[in-house]
Formats: sequence, C-alpha cells, structure tokens
Amino acid sequence: MASRAAEVAVGVPALTPERSVTWPKRTKSRLANGLEIVLAESHSIPKFHGELFFRSGNAGVAHRAPALADLTATVLRTGTAKRTSRQIEEDLRSLGADLGTSAGADTSAISFAGLSEFAEPLLGLVNELAREASFPESEFERERRQKLEEVKLQRTQPGFLAGERLRKVLFGAHPYADVAPTPEQVAAYRRDDLLTIYRDFYTPENGLLLLVGDFDSAAMLAKIENVFGAWSGKKPAPPQTAAPANPRGRRVYLVHLPGSVQTQILAGSHAITRKHPDWVKLGLTNSLYGGAFNSRLVMNIREDKGYTYSPRSGVSPLRQHGYFSVSAAVRNDVVAASLTEIFYEMDRLRSLPVPEAELADAQNYLSGVFSMGVATQDGLLSQLSTVALNELPDDYLETYRTKVRALTPDDLLQTARKYLDSPNLQIVAVGDRAQIESQAALFGDLEVFDAQGNKLPA
Amino acid sequence: VNRFQLPVEHTKLPNGLQVVVAPDANAPVVTVGVYYKIGFRLEPQGRSGFAHLFEHMMFQGSANAPKMQHIKLINSSGGTLNGSTHYDVTNYYQAVPSNALERVLWLEADRMRALKVDDENLRNQRDVVKEEVRVNVLNQPYGGFPWLDLPPVAFRNWANAHNFYGDFTDLDAASLADVQSFFKTYYVPNNAVLLILGDVKPDEGFTLAKRHFADIPAGPAPKFADPAEPEQKEERRGDVLEKFGTLPAMAIGYTMPKRRTAEWHAMALLDQALHGGRAGRIHRDLVLEKQIAVEADGGIDDLFGYNGPTQMVTRILHKPEYSSEATLAAFDEVIREVQQKGIGSHELDQLKVKWRSDYYATLEGGAMPKYGLMHLLACFTLFDGEPQLVNSILEGFLAVVPQEIQSGAQKYLRNENRAIVFRKPEAAAKEAA
Repeated sequence: MASRAAEVAVGVPALTPERSVTWPKRTKSRLANGLEIVLAESHSIPKFHGELFFRSGNAGVAHRAPALADLTATVLRTGTAKRTSRQIEEDLRSLGADLGTSAGADTSAISFAGLSEFAEPLLGLVNELAREASFPESEFERERRQKLEEVKLQRTQPGFLAGERLRKVLFGAHPYADVAPTPEQVAAYRRDDLLTIYRDFYTPENGLLLLVGDFDSAAMLAKIENVFGAWSGKKPAPPQTAAPANPRGRRVYLVHLPGSVQTQILAGSHAITRKHPDWVKLGLTNSLYGGAFNSRLVMNIREDKGYTYSPRSGVSPLRQHGYFSVSAAVRNDVVAASLTEIFYEMDRLRSLPVPEAELADAQNYLSGVFSMGVATQDGLLSQLSTVALNELPDDYLETYRTKVRALTPDDLLQTARKYLDSPNLQIVAVGDRAQIESQAALFGDLEVFDAQGNKLPA
Repeated sequence: VNRFQLPVEHTKLPNGLQVVVAPDANAPVVTVGVYYKIGFRLEPQGRSGFAHLFEHMMFQGSANAPKMQHIKLINSSGGTLNGSTHYDVTNYYQAVPSNALERVLWLEADRMRALKVDDENLRNQRDVVKEEVRVNVLNQPYGGFPWLDLPPVAFRNWANAHNFYGDFTDLDAASLADVQSFFKTYYVPNNAVLLILGDVKPDEGFTLAKRHFADIPAGPAPKFADPAEPEQKEERRGDVLEKFGTLPAMAIGYTMPKRRTAEWHAMALLDQALHGGRAGRIHRDLVLEKQIAVEADGGIDDLFGYNGPTQMVTRILHKPEYSSEATLAAFDEVIREVQQKGIGSHELDQLKVKWRSDYYATLEGGAMPKYGLMHLLACFTLFDGEPQLVNSILEGFLAVVPQEIQSGAQKYLRNENRAIVFRKPEAAAKEAA
C-alpha cells in the first residue's frame, strides 16, 4: 500500500502440521473408437458430474462466422432421432439431472450432473445427443432468433464490450479476435453449417469423456463401453491459422457508451498457454499482482484508495495463445489515477524482487486454493479437465504444490518482465467519452469506437 | 431411494453463541462460517444499505488484527474468504486447509469481540460500496432487476420495501457512531452461530470454539422490528425506466406462505414446476413454444434463508413486437392452467427426483466447499433452533401431493397477492412519447 503503513496482527495462532492432500486415483482408458476416458471417484454426495468434450470449437469454424460452434451446441439439445425437445428436458428432470451444451474457442462440450442411481440412463441420453441429434428446422430458427436478441443485448454490457474489444486488439486477423457475431452474421447462419460442424467435431476420436463422482470406476467403465462403444468417427484436421501479430507500444481503445456512470477498464497483452513451462511461474506472479484478494493491486486501488469494488487480473489460456489481462470498473473521475496504479504495481513487480515473506504468503495461497479442488465433485472435474485437455503430465495435480513452492524472487522478477508487459499493454476503456477521453488519452494513442464496433472520428 | 444423511453436532456456549460442527474427513479442507441474525430487512430506517456497508466494515480491522490482516492471514494460509448480506442474516465465511482452523477461529472471535475501525476505513468502504452498486446496478442493463425494483411496489412495511443496496444519500449519512451502535446491538454472540464443517472432529471443534469465543460477553437480546405486512387486497403495479437495455422486461412476484408450513413445501415444488429450467412451464411456454420471451426464469430466492415476507418472482425479457399486456396474458395462461388443472402425479414425481438431486448438490458445494450446507445449518439454527433439520427437511417436500399444489396455486397465485414491475427501455419510451 502506498499511503498507509500496514500494521501486523498480534497473537495469531500458528498453523498446525499440514495434512497431505490425496488426489483420487484416476482411471484412464481409451475405447477402440478413440474416445478418451478419465474417471475419478468422489463419494461426497450420491451424485456424479461429467463432461463430454470435443477438441474443436468456435475458432475451428471462424472462417464461416463467429460463434457458430456455440449455436451448434445450443441446438444440439433440442431433438434427437428418438426424442423431441420437450421429452429431452422432461427426461432430464426425471433423472434428477442438469445438462448444458456450449462451445468455447477451442472446445465444444456437453456437461452434465445427476444422481448416481440413474447414471446409465443419463449417459444414454448424452450418447444420443452426441450421435443422433436431429437439429429440427423449427428449433434452429427459434434459437437463431434468440441469438439475434442476445447479440443486441450484449452490446449494452460494459464487461462484454471491453472483452470483445481487447480480443480484437490482441488477435487481429486470428480467429480468437471475434468472440461474437454481428446481427447480420447471425441472420446468415444456416442449419447446414450446424450439421457440418456436428458431423466433423462430434466424433469419438475428437472426444474426451470425464466423470467424477459416487461410482465404482470398474463398473462405470463397463457402462461407458456399453453405451459409447459402437460409435465411430474421425478426428477433424486441425485448423491452420497464422500466429497473430503481438501489438507493440501502449495504445488506448475507448468504447463510447453514453450515460455510463462508471468506466470499465480492461488491459492486456500476449502471454502463454497452459502447456508452456512458465505457466506456474506466471500463475504465482499473477496472484501477487491482482489474482487474489490479498494481492497488491486490490490492496492499492480498492482497500487503500477506494477507486473500485472488483479489480482483478488473470491469464486466459486459450489453446494456441494465452493472454494476460487486468480489469477494474472505476469511478469516472479516477480513470487516469487507476491506470497509473495499474502500471505502478506492474512496474514494481518488473523492477524489484518480491520480499521473501510476501512470496511465501502467495505460495501458500496458490497451493491451498489449488488443493480445494479435491473437496467437491465439480471442483475435481475442473482440475481433471485442465490436465486432460492440455495434455499435462499425469502427476500434474500431485506435483503442482511442490513446483509453486520451489519458485524464488528472481523467478518472479524474470516472469513479470516477460509477461506483465507494461510497455506494450493494450488498454480498453468502456464509458462515456465526454467524461473519460482526456484521461484515457494520457496513456497512448487513442481510438474511439461505438458500442456497435464502428470507429468514431477522433 | 438413497437417503443421504450427514453427521451434525450442536452446542450452545454460556454466552449464547451456538456452535455447529459437521465433520467430513474426505478432504483436508475446513469451512468456517459465522452468521449473525441481522440482514438488510431490519437495518435502521434512514440508513438504507447499512447492513451491507457494515458487512464491508467487518473486514476493516479488529483489536488484534488490524486492517487487511484478516484477509492476509486467510489468503496466506491457503484459503479464500468472503461475506454476504441477505434479508435476515449476514454471513462471514472462509474455506482453508484444515491446519489453519485455529487461526480462522481466532480471527472470527477477534472481530466478534472487538471491531476496531476508524473514519478513514468508513470513507474507503463507502467508496468501494458505491462502485459495487454502480457495477451491479447503475451501470448495468437490467441492473437490480427485479430484486431492487419489486419490493417497493410489492410491500408496504419499510422493512420489506426499501432499497437494500442503499440510497447514496443514506450511505453518505452513515457515521462511525452508527457502525459502533449496529455492532453493539446485533453482533453479540447470543445473536450468532459459528459453523465448522469438513476436516474437523466434533470434540476438537467444540474445544477450539470454547477457547476462542467463550469469553466474549453476551449482550442484551436484540429487539427486532416486526416485518409483517398488512393484508394485500389488490394487484400492485409499478414502472421502472431501463437506461441501457433494448428489450422490454417485467417481473411478477407473488407473496409466499410462511416458511416450514405444509403450504410452503407445496409452493416450493410448484415453483420448480413453473421455473425449473427449460422443463419449467413458464420457460417452455413463453420462450420455447410461444416464443414471446427471450428470457423467462425466476423462483423463490433462497428458500431456506428468509425469515419474513418473501415472493416467488418471475423475470421476463420479451421481444419488442409483443406488448406488455400480451406478454402478461401469456404468463397468466400458464398460471391459470395450474390453478384449474393442477399438476399430474407423473410430473410431481419428476419434480421430486430433481428436488432431491438439487438438494444434495446444495449440501456439497456453492461459493466454496460446503457453502450450501453451511447456509442451511445456519438458517435452521438461527430461525428454528434445529440444525438437524438439514437431515429431515427433504421429507416434507417428498410428501407433497398433487392436490396441495393445486390448492397452493389457487390460494397464492392470485392477482390480489401479486405485484408487477414493468422495466421499460428508455429509447422505446422516448419514441412512444
């Protein structure tokens, strides 16, 4: 904190000896048709959680239109060869199940959770959706019209507008640049596009089935073989895309949202993927910077200065290119002051080694929070999917804490210099132009856009 | 049917603090919560938003843990923490590796015993809270809709009808004296429950609770204003301008029966029949079939966690080509059908399976491990004096019969028992004018 000396607590009880974290044994298998399987038992409640991933998403069809894989996932649940949309929803309810279908940039997924006593019928329904979805014309039309209203609505949300602009700025001509379609692109979606995506992406060779919960792994594996064994289909060719240019020099992008009573700041730069050897180092550096309540940025612009409620930083690990970003929704009159502190804290980590005690606190934080994944079925599922989708080593969960604890102040200094790229940070500010333009312009050459994405005259 | 039971032990310290322990050694993680029986409903008049502002102040320092030390000590022990303000309770909670249990209890006891804050802390958190209100309400499309819009239309008692996030003039008027007085009145051990869940043995939990909390003096029992509502005899309606969003919206709220009555169980299942996701009748009818609405969802918020008047609320964003009245007429048709025909036993059976499955999920997870279990145990202890209800309350829902659902629909889903707020996009309102 800049203006007020921190006081220390008196009489704090010491930590007792740590109990080791035992990650459950994973059962890994691959069916003859290529479907990869990962199972882990967790008997906290008589339920199970699952996810059937396909390793292709919106980026794989970006040449056709943005978010097409997402609409494919949405319409997927509205009919199969055997069941109507209404039957599907009622059958899910009768199994006590929740089911979601979605696609991100790199994957498409059917996520589900249900009572262990109904595991087999739920897997049967998931199998039907993955293999026999019928994409009824009327359902497609409805979802397309829904999507049209959604894309209009998104353009009134400061958080969406900031994220959309940053992705365009960081990724240029790469498919990761476009997170949402225009209304015209939605109007041009065709049912045939969805059928093509479904045929190409939703195949066992392209698939990964993860299950975590209250079951016996051997018996579950037999059920899976029984349900999914007869499926067949090849992996699609991976999309060939040129690496995006890494923007040089600070620039500012103002998205003008008239009448805003607050400014959404989002700034970022290219970073790394999950597979990169620096990933753990960057995770720890980020948690010191703005990734935890106790981080420097939160202490500074929230707890000391009161500029914002919700500052945070993070690393978004897209499959081909990750990026680092920092965000805060701040009072209109402190946009320049907030950006100054955002850079100050970044530059401090780039210039001065982190004190040993602060490093130890951050190491404890990151390893403790990581281990909390073991306490719930969906927490464990999320950890296992990170490992499997990124093809991380089998002992990733077991060795993560050791890796975090081995890092030194010098490691963090080097990491901050590489990836908290303050000289090249791209700054997005969403707010009322009249109130913030002169403040934002202090930080670099400035371009202004309206909420529809049109460039406005300077 | 697999009936899932959890071990729960409960005691009360001489100063009135209730202590609940729910052991589970599956993971080396312990969740600790302290719940105080005061929420935004009964905050002082002229001080709207104060209960929530006060919640922020509880992170600003106590006698032996100055500003930021609570947060620093939890994070550096490998844990996460938060607090939240509800209608009738305010909670503070943390999930940590179980070797930090005593440290967490020490911290919670220190701030229950002696909050130590100053004017600078108050100014700082008032600024933070205003940015919270801006990011969640004032600078968001449909911000605060309908949770802040509906109460002033639906209710007549200030306790139920005021702005729970706080008018900025009231937040500005809040003083350090108000903070101290609120703390002395409501944050006494005899108005609280301590919960320790996860990797802890009951004896160990009780011993540590005594060690750190037993010497905190009890205070006078807080006096609570009566939140009862006068009888409603007419449908109530109101309008709110939508500054950013493009779609017209409406919210319809029906006042619900008192908690833990047979009617309450029936209405909870009817709520699922109406609002249970894509299978729910309202979404199915308005979004999927008639395609009038873009979004139609809702329900009884925090069913177990309120202790005064509450509503079942439906939230609808509809296409501009349908008028508000046409949209409402379509909604009314769904309500009329359930009043006239009830729901079949087959549908009720499905709802019960889903209810049971959702209940188990609540017990396991939430904002952090065992958050849902903590919340239920706290509310059953503070409102009912019976934490063991967590193991038996499911039975009441599974015993509901179709006739009770139809009677509930006829009694509670009447126009004279509802309020409607129309949230009208500013752009469209200007065109019409």
